[in-house]
Amino acid sequence: MNGASPANAGGPQRPGTGRGGPVLRGLLVEFDSPGALITAAERVRDAGYTRWDTHSPFPVHGIDAAMGIRPTRLPWIVLALGVIGCITGLALQWWTNAADARHFPWVPVHLQGYTFHVSGKPLFSLPANIPVIFEMTVLLAALGAVVGMLAMNNLPLHHRPLLALTRFKRATCDRFFVYVDAADPRFDPAGTPEFLATLGAAAIEPVEEVVDSGRLPRGLTIAGLFIVCLALLPPLLAAKARVSKSEQPRFNIIADMDNQERFKAQQAHALFADGRASRPPVAGTLARGDLRGDPHFYEGRVAGEFAATFPPQVQITEGSIRRGQQRFNIYCAPCHGLGGAGDGIVAQRALNLDTPGWVAPTSLLDPLVVERPVGHLFNTITNGIRTMPPYGDQIAEMDRWAIIAYVRTLERSQNARLEDVPAELRSELR
Amino acid sequence: MNHAPDMSKDVRPIATGRAAFCAAVVGALGLAAGVLFGLRDGWDVFFRSYLLNYTYVLSLALGALFFVMLQHLVRAGWSVSLRRLAELVAGTLPLLAVLFLPLLVPLLAGMPGVWEWASAEAVAHDASGLLRHKQPYLNVPFFIVRCVVCFAVWVGLARYFVRRSVAQDATGDVQLTVRMQWWSAPGMLLYGLTVTFFAIDALMSLNPHWYSTIFGVYFFSGSLVGFFALLALLVYFVQRAGRLTHAVTVEHYHDVGKLAFGFVVFWAYIAFSQYLLIWYANLPEETVWYQPRQGDAWWTGVSLLLLLGHFVAPFAALLSRWPKRRKGTLACAGAWLLFMHWLDLYYLVIPRAHGHGHEPAAPLHLTDVALLAGLAGVCVAAILRAMARQALLPERDPRLNEALSFENI
Repeated sequence: MNGASPANAGGPQRPGTGRGGPVLRGLLVEFDSPGALITAAERVRDAGYTRWDTHSPFPVHGIDAAMGIRPTRLPWIVLALGVIGCITGLALQWWTNAADARHFPWVPVHLQGYTFHVSGKPLFSLPANIPVIFEMTVLLAALGAVVGMLAMNNLPLHHRPLLALTRFKRATCDRFFVYVDAADPRFDPAGTPEFLATLGAAAIEPVEEVVDSGRLPRGLTIAGLFIVCLALLPPLLAAKARVSKSEQPRFNIIADMDNQERFKAQQAHALFADGRASRPPVAGTLARGDLRGDPHFYEGRVAGEFAATFPPQVQITEGSIRRGQQRFNIYCAPCHGLGGAGDGIVAQRALNLDTPGWVAPTSLLDPLVVERPVGHLFNTITNGIRTMPPYGDQIAEMDRWAIIAYVRTLERSQNARLEDVPAELRSELR
Repeated sequence: MNHAPDMSKDVRPIATGRAAFCAAVVGALGLAAGVLFGLRDGWDVFFRSYLLNYTYVLSLALGALFFVMLQHLVRAGWSVSLRRLAELVAGTLPLLAVLFLPLLVPLLAGMPGVWEWASAEAVAHDASGLLRHKQPYLNVPFFIVRCVVCFAVWVGLARYFVRRSVAQDATGDVQLTVRMQWWSAPGMLLYGLTVTFFAIDALMSLNPHWYSTIFGVYFFSGSLVGFFALLALLVYFVQRAGRLTHAVTVEHYHDVGKLAFGFVVFWAYIAFSQYLLIWYANLPEETVWYQPRQGDAWWTGVSLLLLLGHFVAPFAALLSRWPKRRKGTLACAGAWLLFMHWLDLYYLVIPRAHGHGHEPAAPLHLTDVALLAGLAGVCVAAILRAMARQALLPERDPRLNEALSFENI
């Protein structure tokens, strides 16, 4: 086709009218120089068209202005996503590592974070968080740039009737084109070709497309169903594996992970002279926190004798006595009883069963116990006595002292004098 | 685009006689004031301050040398209109080699307040033994050898590239461009090595117990920030003087702004990389460098000002397209970044680890200002003098047309 006559547009039709016949999608105008393209673009722009484009084999300076293209809004999308990425990175780290789950009881447990100290750093510290914030910012900004660019250009576009034209192939070689889409609100099947003919074009060609029934080809439907059936196989296999049993040992896909080359505690090994795999600490050294240099606090002894007083680092307060009560009720009350009278449920049951060898627990209210120095009680808790097992490994030193303070409170409560009762409450006593 | 009719006025040298004279006077007065302060307050303060301001002007010239070689290396077309300005700055390197000589005095005198490792007494009394251990590298003769190599490389490269570029103004010989392109690659390798070694020797060895493998890159990144800031300012004033008004367009400003922005981010990336690893590992032999820099209110303030003024503010200011395309705005950003680059070097040079060397009398001494005026004045006078002698544009560069018609998409 050549010439710029509107008759060559081949009886333009409104898109979508009539099935099976060719439908006009737009008009392609060809130019032979970038200068002509710019002049034409300015006129199309001034005529008020909005759905149109230009095509050239190389970037043409000034085409943006000639087409009336405003500066892209893409940077705002990138900025917004960058800011979102920054905040997400920060919030992610705060939530997973620093948020106190007690303040968010309504969040399901498996969505709550877990406070985890690393290298003695604060749970939430900006220097450590910056790499993740930075990566999240860059990631979202870059995705925003790529996806935003594609979306604003209506890409990916799988089908374009324009590409079927032989003439259009020269757009990548030596010709320049203006394409006006028939969907443009200003598009007029009669008037538009006439207007385009005045642009000094080398040629005008209508872009037509034969519209078919719109149904999927049968081959495509069968192939799609086949792929869906194939995709069901892996979940079916997994479901079968969950219900069937096998006598065979499991597969070792990664053998190193199932059978690791490592030593266990107490294992023998020929390498060292003492035949042990685990190494004892170097002579004269202690692990951190293992130094127990204060016999008063750690053993309840002063100069070898049981201490009569609490060590100075133990503060007797209502809080510490309540702590002692709580620990006492957990560790001591099962035998000694909640009141300390030696009538805990274990003691009662042993009495009922008449267990041989059973030594009844001492009543802590017994004058013998009351008169014992606190260091003696500490020693008993730590190392056990008769059938009472040692509790030194289960109860921390500070808690042992708290328990002793609570035991002293119990003793006092059972041997109280009138003066111990506050004056305003004495009248209630009968 | 064709601006040929206007170009003759554009490239004419500027009659800078008076300005150059004024700059030289300011320089001489600054240096003299610095010496007087040295006589009054001790030479330790003087030499630390000299080292600070010397590395400042040197880093700008080194940034210019990098820019010139980079343009040849990547065969850039757009930058031809700006290259002569960078060549003028790089042309001060022979002068800077001479200005380095005073720094050999504290080295040979073994003043413990400047380079602790140069003082035999400090090495002998070093309880850690590290100074003794590092002596095969950190000793005065070897230091001087390395400095001679560095300056030989820089002066050689600067003279090579500047002379051929100026020679091309007369002959228009394309072969000169071809040869400069060839030499820019090995020149770049030599540049990378010498700048790294110089940064380690002159600045990092101020704290000889400490080391950071990224230190050379840190110095380099700051230098480039300083250079692009200077370039923005320089081209702004040259245009105000009625030169390069057609050869340099808003498009060139835009690209200088982009490069300044890029190196601001690069500097922050490098500075943070160094900080994060040291902060995280928290090893005494590494944190010792940050300890005096975050120890008191003054230095904490300087550190925070660097974070905000050397990264956050210029990042926000230069992120958009329009500030880079407005000449006055970009020149203001350039002036600010030039000050920030000075502050960055101040932060590198002046603080001293407690218990090492002498405590500074005050964190900011008048000597710092006097010697800044002195050294900058001398270098500005040299640049202005060179401006009066040669064209401000490589007018017969084969890629000049590309530069003149350059447009950012």
